[in-house]
Amino acid sequence: MEVSQNSDRKFTLPVDSEHKATEFRLFSVATPHMRAFHLSWISFFSCFVSTFAAPPLLPIIRDNLNLTATDIGNAGIAAVSGAVFARVAMGTACDLFGPRLASSSLILLTAPAVFLSSIANSPAAFLMVRFFTGFSLATFVSTQFWMSSMFSPNVVGTANGLSGGWGNLGGGATQLIMPLVYSLIHTNIGSTKFTAWRIAFFIPALFQALSAYAIFFLGQDMPDGNYVRLEKSGEKHKDSFSQVFYHAITNYRGWILALTYGYCFGVELTIDNIIAQYFYDRFDVNLHTAGIIAASFGLANLFSRPGGGILSDLVGKRYGMRGRLWTLWVVQMIGGLLCLLLGKIGSLSGSVAVMLVFSVFVQAACGLTFGVVPFISRRSLGVISGMTGGGGNVGAVLTQVIFFRGSRYSTEEGISLMGVMIMCCTLLILLIYFPQWGGLFCGPRKGVTEEDYYLSEWTDAEKEQGFHKMSMKFSENSRRERGKKGASVPITSDKETPPTMV
Amino acid sequence: MKSFVLKISLILFFLSKTTKGDVLFSSLPRSLFVVASAMEGQVLKAGEDDITVTFGLNQTLTNQTDGSYKKAKVKLCYAPVSQVDRKWRKTNDNLKKDKTCQFTIYNKPYERNVKGFKWNIEKDLPTATYFVRSYVYNDADEEIAYGQTTNGKKSDNLFKIQGISGRHVSIDIASVCFSVFALLSLFGFFFIEKRQSKVKS
Repeated sequence: MEVSQNSDRKFTLPVDSEHKATEFRLFSVATPHMRAFHLSWISFFSCFVSTFAAPPLLPIIRDNLNLTATDIGNAGIAAVSGAVFARVAMGTACDLFGPRLASSSLILLTAPAVFLSSIANSPAAFLMVRFFTGFSLATFVSTQFWMSSMFSPNVVGTANGLSGGWGNLGGGATQLIMPLVYSLIHTNIGSTKFTAWRIAFFIPALFQALSAYAIFFLGQDMPDGNYVRLEKSGEKHKDSFSQVFYHAITNYRGWILALTYGYCFGVELTIDNIIAQYFYDRFDVNLHTAGIIAASFGLANLFSRPGGGILSDLVGKRYGMRGRLWTLWVVQMIGGLLCLLLGKIGSLSGSVAVMLVFSVFVQAACGLTFGVVPFISRRSLGVISGMTGGGGNVGAVLTQVIFFRGSRYSTEEGISLMGVMIMCCTLLILLIYFPQWGGLFCGPRKGVTEEDYYLSEWTDAEKEQGFHKMSMKFSENSRRERGKKGASVPITSDKETPPTMV
Repeated sequence: MKSFVLKISLILFFLSKTTKGDVLFSSLPRSLFVVASAMEGQVLKAGEDDITVTFGLNQTLTNQTDGSYKKAKVKLCYAPVSQVDRKWRKTNDNLKKDKTCQFTIYNKPYERNVKGFKWNIEKDLPTATYFVRSYVYNDADEEIAYGQTTNGKKSDNLFKIQGISGRHVSIDIASVCFSVFALLSLFGFFFIEKRQSKVKS
């Protein structure tokens, strides 16, 4: 049974005052921290595999279901649009019910869509199953939320980057897994083509369902236990939905990062959908080769997104939040430039080279974004993560609708224009300002502390009842975001009327 | 980097030189006749029905020499209505890039007259509207003449093939059962959680 006093609990990893791990050990499965990490990235990986299981098998599915190019394009947009609102909803669910229940429920709820893909018999049915399967990408939010709950600010970028990156890996891995499973069924078992792809879909479906069970039975929400128990013992206050939601949508930083995330992650999703065709059509490679090139874009996530997260933590250690913001801005700008360049290059090897470098920068930008997100709000961490994640999918829908639909732009024109749009939207990062730490161009306001910022999310009445305890602890632990220079500045306490969060 | 780009450009340049010898469909004479058993508007079932094709040199046209005809192929080709909004079935005059005819149903050395060979419609043929075309090849394996069951505009004498769905009762049952099980276990989760919270209080 869970202990009543926090200080009695022993953890394998060193922890801070909130019992979040201050170290990240990749090859450990110690409860609760590292186990949560492995559960979250594996389950998120399975959702990505399911969501992008159809594209590599499209040459067979399109003949079976008599799909047109428009049907295929619409299904691709549907696959990423469902998660726009699902991600915001998931953020709220995490704040209210905890990441363990929220993510295992969603994964299990969307598993039927993957199972039922096997019996789709028309373009409409195909669109529906891709739409509902895409909802599972909302587990991204629970992954980031869970990591932010388990890991201390000094390693949260690393944890978020690795879990997000290795989850995204599923989008690349599926381009290799599904054709392999299909050919095993078709060749070795001897099913006809139109039956083999249907059976193949059972693999991602089962994988997804099993990961949901693993999370439910093996995971826990916070280092000290699950929400249900912590709420009963009074350690965790059961928050109100309207307050949590209000504090998220009134924080302008959340909206800015939601938009800029649309132009790193959204761009990544768009590229996942169009890049195989681009190489197939422009450079006349065969479908098999185009698939391998497409896979390599997604597989770069193995190190590039985590690299972004690790970089964020490294820079944060030395230069604090300002360093994190600067690095994000620079990396995403370079990503936009490379995208612009990609559309202009006319040779196959040049294109592949630029695409690989572009993939590293754009995915690192995703990792860097989630090095900043955990600090925007403590009370509404879930909804902010959900908004940012949802913004990513909005970006994917927008770019596909504007640049890659119909014949208005050729694919290479679309790619270059997308690069320009990335650079324009990234400029908004210049506007992010934390009163306690500063922004890109301005330093912190004198005398403003982390407590002022995070506690302004709670009313005096709520504070009297002690609901704000976790924000107090978080404020202390986020002092590191001042960087090496700011760490020596004395912390002023006892403010009668703290400035409201702007 | 520069020398690498130069090398790639040179390779591509030489490749383009060799592809100048591509055969264009519009250059081929229609010296063959093709007759298929499939009637206009008929719907055939993949995996069940078959097509009987008779083809050969069109004797009614004068000055036909088939000395250079070495190999003959008969192909099943998509009609325009099945190519709409489907770039992977696009007609291209350059026969190396042409994707109109994707199924070969006969491939043997040339004979002046091939009467009634039967072809079982394979199970993996997609649902679409088709016509039949035959090509003859010379020694260098290049197309030198053709014939088809339809007219020049590909609007006449087209037939449909109904493909299999690929679904089996066992797959249907399995996917529904697994889906139901997933949803039931979700309710199980909520039930367990509710019980745990009651136990605590």
